[in-house]
Order: sequence, then C-alpha cells, then structure tokens
Amino acid sequence: MFSSKIKKYSSFLFATLFVYACTTKPPQVNYSDYKVDKQTNIDSSYIRMLMPYKDSLDKSMNEVIGFSVHGLFKKQPESPLGNFMTDAIKTMAEKKFGKKIDAAFVNFGGIRSYIPKGDITVGKIFELMPFDNLVVLQELKGDKLKSFLGRVCEKGGWPVSTGLTYAIKDKLPVDILIDGKPIDETATYIIANSDYIANGGDNCDMLKSIPKQNINYLMRDALLEYTRMLTSNAKPIDAKIENRVVYAK
Amino acid sequence: MLNNRRKFIKNSVLASAAFAVPTILSAKSYSDDENKRTLTILHTNDVHSRLDPFPMDGSNNAGLGGVAARSTVIKQIRSEEENILLLDAGDIFQGTPYFNLYKGEPEIKAMSMLGYDAATMGNHDFDGGIENFAHQLQHANFPIINCNYNFTNTAMQGKTIPYKIIQKGNVQIGILGVGVELQGLVPDNLYGNTIYEEPITKANEIAAILRKEGCDLIVCLSHLGDKYDDAKVSDEILAKQSFDIDLIIGGHTHRLFPQPRKYNNKMGSDVLVNQVGWAGMHLGRLDYNFFGKKKKKMSKAHTVILSKKTN
Repeated sequence: MFSSKIKKYSSFLFATLFVYACTTKPPQVNYSDYKVDKQTNIDSSYIRMLMPYKDSLDKSMNEVIGFSVHGLFKKQPESPLGNFMTDAIKTMAEKKFGKKIDAAFVNFGGIRSYIPKGDITVGKIFELMPFDNLVVLQELKGDKLKSFLGRVCEKGGWPVSTGLTYAIKDKLPVDILIDGKPIDETATYIIANSDYIANGGDNCDMLKSIPKQNINYLMRDALLEYTRMLTSNAKPIDAKIENRVVYAK
Repeated sequence: MLNNRRKFIKNSVLASAAFAVPTILSAKSYSDDENKRTLTILHTNDVHSRLDPFPMDGSNNAGLGGVAARSTVIKQIRSEEENILLLDAGDIFQGTPYFNLYKGEPEIKAMSMLGYDAATMGNHDFDGGIENFAHQLQHANFPIINCNYNFTNTAMQGKTIPYKIIQKGNVQIGILGVGVELQGLVPDNLYGNTIYEEPITKANEIAAILRKEGCDLIVCLSHLGDKYDDAKVSDEILAKQSFDIDLIIGGHTHRLFPQPRKYNNKMGSDVLVNQVGWAGMHLGRLDYNFFGKKKKKMSKAHTVILSKKTN
C-alpha cells in the first residue's frame, strides 16, 4: 500500500523532471502595437471592394442636416452630448406620442459616437445611435422611477432630458427633482427610454414588467428629425451642461 | 504520522523541483537559439464596422483605422515573418452606417480578404439577429470559434466550432473562444434560443483537449471584457482560473493595453492577456519565441518572458 504510493510519487517525480528536462527555457514574447493611420499607404484593393457599398451609402449618409456650435462628446455624469440626445428624444416623442413626457433617458453605453463641431450629416447621427432601438414610454410610479435611477447611479449616471435632475451620492440617487419638485413615490411619471432599456437591458430589470407604449419610432429618427427641426428654425445644436446630473458633495 | 511523512516527501519533492527550475533555466544561456521556433500573432477586437478610417473632422480619432490601411500594415508584417496568425476577438458588427445598410456583409468580406485565421463572436454580432450573422458567414473564409454559446435550435447551429488547431511552420496552436453573458446585454429576440454556458468551465475543458493534442500554444479569443469592479466573469478571472490557456486575446471593454497583462493561472504558470482598444485603430502584435522542440502534452508550471519589441 505504502510502496504503491511511493511508486506513484516517484513516477510523478520522474514525469516532472522529464518535462523540465525537455524544457530548455521559457517562451519569450515580444509585444508591439501598430497605430493604423493615414501615414500608412492604403491598399487600394479594399477601396475597390468597398466602392459599390460606399457609393450608395454616401448618397444617403453625406446629406448635411444641421450644424453644431461645439464638438460634443460623451462623459459621465452629465455631458452636452447626452443633453442633446435626451432633449431630442423628449421633444420628438412628445410630438409623436401626443402627450407630455416627464423625462427621457439614454443609457450611457448606448451613445456610440460623438457630434463634431460644424456640419452634421445623416451619417453622424447613424454613428451616434447605430442601434435600431425604439422610443418607448412607460408610466412609472415614483418608487419604481427611484429604483431605476438607483441602477443609473450605480452605473455612474446616465443623461436625462429637461424635466428631471438628480445627484449621485455613493452610487445612490439623491435630490431627485421632477419639474422642480421632489420626487413623489406614489405619483406616476411618464418616462421615455429605449425599448432595450425598458425590456430590462443594461440590467434594468425593474422596468421589464411595466407596460410599454410603442409606436415603432426609432431613437435615431428622433435624433435626425430633431436636428432637421432645429435647422429649419435656423438654430444650431448648442447643448450645454445644465447641472441635470451632479455628484453630491 | 505516515500521512504527514508522505505529505512531507511530496511537498519537499515539489519544493525542490520548484527551486531547481529557475536554477536550470538561469544556468542555461538565453542566447542559445538552437531549436528556436517563432510565431507572430496579430490581433484586433471590437472593430465595430469601421471599414473606412474615422473622418478628418478634427476629432481625436480622425484618420485612424480602416481596412485598407490595416491591410498595408499586415502585408508588411507578412513580408517579414513566416508564421503569422491573424485573430479577432469579436464585435465585428455595428457602429457605422455600413452595418445599418448592409448588415455586416462588407465587414466579413474584408476580414476574409485580410486573411483572418479565426474570430470569436461578440454581443454586437447578434445585432442584426442571429439569422443575419449566420447568413453573413457565407462570406467568411475563416472560422468563428466559441465554446460557451449553445446554438442548438438556432440559425447558428453547426456554424461555429469550439476550437481549432492550426499549424504554422513548426508551431502548433490551439485556438478556442468564449463569449459574454447575453441576457441583459443583447435584446432577447436577437439571440433567440442561444444558451450561454459558464465560460471558465467550458474554456478549461477545451484547453485541456488542446493541451493533450500537444499544442505549443493555447490561445483563447475572448469577448468577456478585461476586468470589472464586481465579480462578473472577465479575462482576468478566466486567466487566474485556467490551467492550460497561454494567451487570452480579449475584447468587449475597448481597452488599449499599453502592454499585455500577465497573470498566474491555477498551475502557477504565466498567462498573458492583451486587448487593443476598438474600431481597428490599432493592431496588436505578439512575437512568440519557443525554445526546444519538445511538445508539451501536460499542464505544468512555466513562465513567460515578456518584453517590448525593439526594431
């Protein structure tokens, strides 16, 4: 019994030594990184391959539909870019759904690009919101809205439209004001979100079971139409930080 | 008593072996290059339909990326090195109007032209629906490797493989792939009946097979994300919980690592993890130099010497 164990260990020992003996030295790995940029001569076969796609793409995407005073970029807890997007969604959804909305949200992870300073093309809006997400409305009781904001704060704060402000303290929402008044846990608020979030995406499970009003209106269409509307009213995109979302002191 | 004695013997054997290794290694001259075998791994992740470079609009990324420029970089390296493996860690789709209009066709065609050896699936590769991804694979001449999505009764059934063994010169590489939890990340209707399985167990199972096959290097393409504040499974956790994986090519979190990260696995061996940002603005390169011709068929503790490539 004991000797069989010894045998087992010695074979283990031999196996170990055998492997070590076969290894002359450990692998050596050299790392490097290439920046893929315009300095590089481009391979024209790819330009040819993309040509048929790009031609018809450019026709629809290069149309200029607006003008931005500043470059707008995503940032937490609040950014001019987030304010532009949520205001666009709130404004357009109020028209399309024909009712007043208390606030509109965009999940931070859903902002996929930026708005450059100057001319805004259709393509820019597609890059900003490439997903075919729909605007949906939900009637949320104050306590439910608070629990949603809890998740939002846990994730560092998401953009919100005019109509709602909140502060983040230790990853929790505080000082929630709706239309300038403290949140009422028993009142009902109409909140716009993407169908992705309303269906429980980005861990927003608390919204999943709440009925959704859906008119198949794409978030991207809201952004496109809002930008066109500003232009037709001779207004540029000029979103600013308005202390809608702050870190509590 | 007897038990303790055995333990003592066992521990002292292990301890002396452990001490002996560095001595043997350091005693040998590192300039001994006989039987040196080399492999160059080039990799991308989260390219997100960035077929053209970012436009010259004055933003930080202006002019960066694009398949034509990437091809030039890759061709140059191909002209200098013999054994090259080109890999992608997922999220091929979504992010430019190309995807909205053409649903991934030019992305997959470009990757086939670039000569990718393998890719894994990211969460955004489900964005056109699972049927769409399956459909676009008709344009792929490289395999999609994943071991933790069960695609039974979906359009993807039979269209992925859990691993692939590739021979490059005299180096044999085993490649496996893992994907991120889909629930809560991808709308239910897009991933359909796909079942997400726990990636660490699955990856270890597959890597053990690849080790037994005698692979010199086991590479895991991962779309788990590099690491998180909470206990969510990540490349960091996978690396530490693995036995046989040598290298994790990561994605999902869009991080540009200044250099590959090194972790200790369950065997005390070094595991490297690398990730190169997103949108194809960077191409990662790892040059492996193996010494000795013996293939390793069992898991064992080993180190990896990592340094910045100098030209």
